[in-house]
Amino acid sequence: MSVNPTQLTAADVAVGDELPVVVKRASRAQLFLYSAATWNPHRIHYDRDYAATEGHADILVHGPLQGAWITQFFTDWAGPRGRLVSVSWQNRRSAFPDREYEIGGRITAVDPATGDVTIEAWEQTPEGERLVPVQAVVRLPLTDPAQGGTAT
Amino acid sequence: MTASLITDEVRAQLGQLTQPPVTAQITARDAQRYAMAVDDLNPVYFDEDAAHAAGYRTLVAPLTFVGHVVAATKPLTELRDDGLFRGVTRLRLGLPRVMAGGDAWEYVAPAYVGDVVTAESRLASVEQHDGRNGAFVTSVVETVFADQDGQIIATLRQTAIAR
Repeated sequence: MSVNPTQLTAADVAVGDELPVVVKRASRAQLFLYSAATWNPHRIHYDRDYAATEGHADILVHGPLQGAWITQFFTDWAGPRGRLVSVSWQNRRSAFPDREYEIGGRITAVDPATGDVTIEAWEQTPEGERLVPVQAVVRLPLTDPAQGGTAT
Repeated sequence: MTASLITDEVRAQLGQLTQPPVTAQITARDAQRYAMAVDDLNPVYFDEDAAHAAGYRTLVAPLTFVGHVVAATKPLTELRDDGLFRGVTRLRLGLPRVMAGGDAWEYVAPAYVGDVVTAESRLASVEQHDGRNGAFVTSVVETVFADQDGQIIATLRQTAIAR
């Protein structure tokens, strides 16, 4: 997954459109690096024996790491000139390493005056079990500056 | 309804700072390590030209990184059995297990590499719930992130679940 090379504008999107699904899968080494990069010593993210004492089947993917995936899902889609205005997510079920999770979303509102696009999104298992409901607002340019329009 | 797990002492902290304000500088190395760790290789974090082309004055940090650059640094003697640092929040609920419940971000201005970010966190709410496996408590901490000029970069409402 990488940044959308074609800059979307607000005129390119409509209510009901779905964003392209992104698949994420964390390795145990990635969880370790994330803990290190965020100065997070919580044992449920690297110590399987300890995680079991709290009732977890395995070590857990950090809730905010899934939040970073979700954030990237929007910023990659929005393109370089798009901006994420707000995003919220609720970690309802645990996510585990070495498993695939899908992030998807659907446009529920478009404001043609501001370029603000409201999106209902989710993280789910490949079987369709929802782990994380997500709400976001992405501001898309009204016109594409590369096409000679005025950037907003 | 089980007995209240939320003491008057905890209730008295509503609206109060959960810890002293934390100030830290966003360095390219820290921001890029974070980007690598979350596997988000957006060129605006790594390449000045790409950042300029996207409308930024210099490299930006990944949006969610601003929440981590201000992580309080504490000595190992402050680690609890579960690996969390003591006193990261002052909530004394007597509940041993803590998990992330979700975040709500509003992004106001870019967080640039070189910015000195100050975070002020306040306890916004504490609520007790009855779950399938007993009572649990959700707490929401609201953090305001501002840069060296006092410009607000972002606000975060972070929910923790203790059970």
